[in-house]
Amino acid sequence: MIQIPPGAFARPGTSLEFKTGTWRAERPVHQRRAAPCHSACPAGEDAQAYLAKVEMGDMRGAWETVVAANPLPAITGRVCHHPCESACNRAHYDESITIHGVERFLGDEALRQGWSYPVPIPSADAPRMAVVGSGPAGLAAAYHLLRGGCRVTLIEAMPAAGGTVRTAIPHYRLPPDVLEQELDHMLALPGLDFRLRTQLGRDVSLEELRADHEAVFLGPGRRKGREGSADFAVPGNLRTGLQLLEAWVAGGTLPEQPRSVAIVGGGNTAVDLARVLRREGVEQVHLISHQRVPAPGVPADDAMRATYREVSQALEEGVTIHEHRGVRRLILRGERVVGMELVHMKKLEDADGRLRRVAFEGTETVLHVDQVIPAIGQDVDGSGFESLVRRGYMEVEPWWGTVDGQSGIFSGGDARSDHGTVSEAVGDGRRAAAAMLRYRAGKQLEPGAPPEPIPYSDLNLSYFETAPASKEPVLPPEQRLGLEEIEGGLQANAVRHEAHRCLSCGDCLACDNCWTLCPDQSVLKTREVAADGSHYVFDYDFCKGCGICAHECPTGYIRMIPE
Amino acid sequence: MALALEGSQALARTVALCRPQVVAAYPITPQTHIVEGIAKLVADGHLACEMVSVESEHSAASVALGAAAAGSRAYTASASQGILLMAEVLYDISGLRIPLVMTCANRALSGPLNIWNDQQDSMSMRDSGWIQLYCATNQEAVDTTVQAFRIAERCELPVMVCVDGFTLTHTLEPLELPTAEQVDGFLPVYSFRHGLDPADPRSLGTLVGPEHFSEVRHAHHQAMMRAQTEIEQADADWAAVVGRHCGGLVEARGDPEARLGILTLGSVLGTLEDAMDSDPELPRARFIKLRSFRPFPAEALRRACEGLDHLIVLERALSPGAGGIVGPEVQTALIEMEEPPRVHNYAAGLGGRDLSLDLYSRIVQAVFGAERPREFAIIDAEPDLLPESDR
Amino acid sequence: MNEQPLHDLDTLRARQPRFRGLESGHRACQGCGEALAARLTTEAAGPDVVVANATGCLEVFTTPWPQSAWRLPWIHSVFGNTAAVAAGMEAALKQQGRATQVLAFAGDGGTFDIGFQALSGMMERGHDVLFVCFDNEAYMNTGVQRSGSTPHAAMTTTSPPGELRMGKRHMKKDILSIIAAHHIPYAATASVAYPSDLRKKVRRAMDTEGASFLQIHSPCPLGWGHDGAKTIEVARLAVQTGLFPVIEMERGELIGTLPIREPRPVSDYLKLQNRFRHLFASEYRARKELEHLQAIANRNIERFELRGVGPETYDTEGADTVHRGGDRWA
Ligand SMILES: Cc1cc2nc3c(=O)[nH]c(=O)nc-3n(C[C@H](O)[C@H](O)[C@H](O)COP(=O)(O)OP(=O)(O)OC[C@H]3O[C@@H](n4cnc5c(N)ncnc54)[C@H](O)[C@@H]3O)c2cc1C
Ligand SMILES: Cc1ncc(C[n+]2csc(CCOP(=O)(O)OP(=O)(O)O)c2C)c(N)n1
Ligand code: SF4
Ligand code: SF4
Ligand code: SF4
Ligand SMILES: [Mg+2]
Repeated sequence: MIQIPPGAFARPGTSLEFKTGTWRAERPVHQRRAAPCHSACPAGEDAQAYLAKVEMGDMRGAWETVVAANPLPAITGRVCHHPCESACNRAHYDESITIHGVERFLGDEALRQGWSYPVPIPSADAPRMAVVGSGPAGLAAAYHLLRGGCRVTLIEAMPAAGGTVRTAIPHYRLPPDVLEQELDHMLALPGLDFRLRTQLGRDVSLEELRADHEAVFLGPGRRKGREGSADFAVPGNLRTGLQLLEAWVAGGTLPEQPRSVAIVGGGNTAVDLARVLRREGVEQVHLISHQRVPAPGVPADDAMRATYREVSQALEEGVTIHEHRGVRRLILRGERVVGMELVHMKKLEDADGRLRRVAFEGTETVLHVDQVIPAIGQDVDGSGFESLVRRGYMEVEPWWGTVDGQSGIFSGGDARSDHGTVSEAVGDGRRAAAAMLRYRAGKQLEPGAPPEPIPYSDLNLSYFETAPASKEPVLPPEQRLGLEEIEGGLQANAVRHEAHRCLSCGDCLACDNCWTLCPDQSVLKTREVAADGSHYVFDYDFCKGCGICAHECPTGYIRMIPE
Repeated sequence: MALALEGSQALARTVALCRPQVVAAYPITPQTHIVEGIAKLVADGHLACEMVSVESEHSAASVALGAAAAGSRAYTASASQGILLMAEVLYDISGLRIPLVMTCANRALSGPLNIWNDQQDSMSMRDSGWIQLYCATNQEAVDTTVQAFRIAERCELPVMVCVDGFTLTHTLEPLELPTAEQVDGFLPVYSFRHGLDPADPRSLGTLVGPEHFSEVRHAHHQAMMRAQTEIEQADADWAAVVGRHCGGLVEARGDPEARLGILTLGSVLGTLEDAMDSDPELPRARFIKLRSFRPFPAEALRRACEGLDHLIVLERALSPGAGGIVGPEVQTALIEMEEPPRVHNYAAGLGGRDLSLDLYSRIVQAVFGAERPREFAIIDAEPDLLPESDR
Repeated sequence: MNEQPLHDLDTLRARQPRFRGLESGHRACQGCGEALAARLTTEAAGPDVVVANATGCLEVFTTPWPQSAWRLPWIHSVFGNTAAVAAGMEAALKQQGRATQVLAFAGDGGTFDIGFQALSGMMERGHDVLFVCFDNEAYMNTGVQRSGSTPHAAMTTTSPPGELRMGKRHMKKDILSIIAAHHIPYAATASVAYPSDLRKKVRRAMDTEGASFLQIHSPCPLGWGHDGAKTIEVARLAVQTGLFPVIEMERGELIGTLPIREPRPVSDYLKLQNRFRHLFASEYRARKELEHLQAIANRNIERFELRGVGPETYDTEGADTVHRGGDRWA
């Protein structure tokens, strides 16, 4: 029995006998939540996670985190329109993290340092998978299948890998050596049987592929020029924008030297071609688009499909854009096009609530140009697998890429109607690879969706200082003449600065706040990583459930749940 | 060697011989000379001590408390209002069982204001859990002070040494001061088992609930009762060193054959002894010197009162509306005797009222005379000075 | 949710990489700012100290016998004598030639009011003591009565709003100016919302020879009527509105402030607390008192130049930021 000493003094720390945890109505738990950058990344990169590694100085670990989703960060770091940055929570605070700059730096750094992909060497009896097309979708699918321990046969119709990224993206945006290095790096992975100049439908049939492989991924892109346009008939002699652009990208020259050109379309091809024409000395380059110049606040379905960055650089370079404009007809002088009649138009909701393009009578104008170039998109060239193509697209289940009505055939990238970027293609390839592995294992494919991101309001911003974002150096418009890359990369210190700016949305940054602010010493710090991945453990014997830790956690990593 | 010293100076020098490490005090008549004396000894380098001149008695007691708890011998002195201002701290010191020594230069309490001697101040702290030792002479005050430190530290209880203000503190008497060797030999270096120490970090002054409080009080009471042995032992041991003793808990003096006893606390004893000696006609009395009021030495008191028919308890304080403070306690203690004396309880000498030699005859008269006063009376009060209604 | 813990919590607790002066198992309310302030203070002070603690919540919730949450030598005497007890301990330790530092802990009642005389005396005599006031702006332990520290217009049980009153009639005592008048080497205010700053000040005060004073704004969810989870937010807003200036003084001279980047309206602070609820009624006198409190905040901002100009405004010595890996400034 306890005996009372003189004056009833007490011994140190004996309060530990009193378990205040019994007072609790709610308990704090660590709960990692997806950062908006992560949820928004079409490729599925977890920027928050790799920024954290960058901040800790672990560049290689950061790159490995990137390539856990996307094997081509040097490429996407340059060409992706980075929706991660549009979603970035920090945008509400001051400016988004320059995520793509960090991604690009890591991609380049891996090439400089020769870091190898964390991909196992497949065993002799590894399952065999087939991938058609070596554009970003096909490459990503192949890569993730290799990561999953498969052997992969990758066939490509063309004499080089890379798909549209190689053939159409101008070098001033994606220098060829970067493309070459990153592709070579990836294509050297063990277990990959890469066959160039091998076209599905011509050199090998779908049935043969299916016979020799457990599953097939189709990433053919959209490479067949459209026959007609919604606006006007494309005369047979007109070369499409993509053809012209590809010719220029391949050879560096254009067949003609007009003084003024109108390009019809608002996508990447249209904008890139416009810029190329300016570089080639064409004085007047007009872009005719049904949509508007993309800008913050412009709804996605009313914005040109080319990215904001590209469009604004095009404007800087002297391209004239006619927004909300359609082509009524071409004005021909004999066989030669001499101009076009334009009309104001806009998308409006019709009685059924569907968006419909409406041309406004009486707003017609005439634009005189030497040349008109349609750049209105392409279709899937389905020779050899015609039955899978409908209205120019492959119809797929949106998450896993299962081709409608087929088993063991998956597709993604530009081949599907709703995707048109490199990162979407990578994401499609990645998820399809996972689906193929599951398919092989006989597992069900539950419909998936990107993780719900943690909203800005769930962060506690009191613990951060405002700091301007690091910006990449950009060549001034007057110097953008040749093939030289327009945007420079971030330097290492700028990359670290960005990582330091990152709010670590939804993930513990080991800031010690909860450990520091618990009035009850019920947050204990561990040197090792705790069960939930953080460095902190709640001692529920004493935690009274006040909720200070959850309220003050800057990253929203702690949640209170009822007992 | 006998020295002619003012009581306060003798006390200052005695306290210094006990080597307190912290002295805290706030001035109040008639305590001032004591602490002034100590301050001078410190200033002159005769005593290595932190002399803390605080801003109130509340703080004086608190500084002493803190110092003693932190492992230093501590001392303070006060009187009257100062004692009252200290009150809550005094209870706390004893309740925490912190050993320290205080001199109370006994003085009346306000209001009305009165700066002269009586014992209402220390009596008001009767239940504070402090040991209270009353001194009849300055020599006793000196010797009791040395003993008090040993008692306090052995019992883990604070000791209040009560010395009548002016009558003792301001009076020049020949007395013997002990030597440093004598005190050092008697009084070990200060130690407090339950003190504050980072190496063994206890928490003192906890919150004690109903489920433990009675036991805490019981233990305190038991410690006080046990202190009786320590008080007697200290007196005996000190007597062995200096050849003087102060009378342990209670001392019977005067005529051992007398059937009349007079119990007093403090210096009034000398006046009464002188009065009896000055007139052989007066009835003889046995003087009971109650040295230890707390702990109250009931057993020793009964022994001292053996054979008495009457016992006059003469106090220098009172409990208005009840009467004496010491008297009823004495009476209660004596009831257990086979033939207890009849107890008569009077107060006298309040607020410095001169205790003249005729006090003796007046109290004897009161007991044996025709006109016996009521049970309790302020024996030297002059009713004529009061309106009819207040007499 | 009840998965097997990966850690032996007792071992982990014992191995925490910081000194635990105040242990778990104390009985403060959920989200008590005072408990947090005391924890942070003792953490920064380290083990070689002795503490004198005034009567009040802190004393009561830490030491119900036979338990104590302290891991420091600690003494509670009475309500009003803490500075004197500390002075006595200091005198003793000095005399013993020991370097152990002395801390005194008191609530605002034990500092501004009943303990003030002892505090003034202690400072005047220059004892090497750090006196820490856990300012929760009322007598909480006895059930939320007004103190000299209770802000103007706040509701307490002894300053209730009613037909004739709008909460406390008087102003919050400007204790730091009074302390400053003692000319002590170091005096400062701090807030639980800025723990790095708080700990730095504790260390700075302890490094200073002589008396030092630290007033820590410590929200009391019970007495102020706010959600315990918002203790830090409330404390932060007190600073960011200018109602509780976080400043530092040496020998009575202002030497530093925690700048306010973006002063917030006082209503942001007040509306989180039930004790100011009556100020949000739609009546003239409520509006008037709200403006009154805003004026007090404005005056604080002016007086201590809390706002600053130029990039220095952002120089908080990292007091309000966190970093990956917990490398707080202090
Ligand atoms: C001018 C232009 C600029 C662009 N700029 C950007 C940009 O800045 N950012 C961005 O994110 N996206 C951009 N894009 C879009 C991007 O290039 C595509 O979205 C992406 O390349 C689609 O990848 P994919 O793998 O689905 O198809 P593709 O890249 O088109 O690759 C398909 C591959 O499959 C091969 N293939 C086709 N059929 C067969 C077959 N039957 N057998 C074998 N192989 C076959 C093709 O040869 C090709 O290599 C741009 C597009 C263009 C045209
Ligand atoms: C002399 C005295 N008067 C009154 C009390 C009752 N009492 C105990 S704690 C307290 C209030 C404490 O208020 P504060 O110092 O602000 O500390 P808090 O409890 O708010 O932390 C009061 C009035 C007491 N203990 N002693
Ligand atoms: S702040 Fe960091 S984690 Fe949050 S969305 Fe931006 S990049 Fe991602
Ligand atoms: S407060 Fe900081 S350390 Fe604690 S869980 Fe949140 S991010 Fe991690
Ligand atoms: S009443 Fe206030 S100060 Fe006291 S323990 Fe509760 S929250 Fe803390
Ligand atoms: Mg208070």
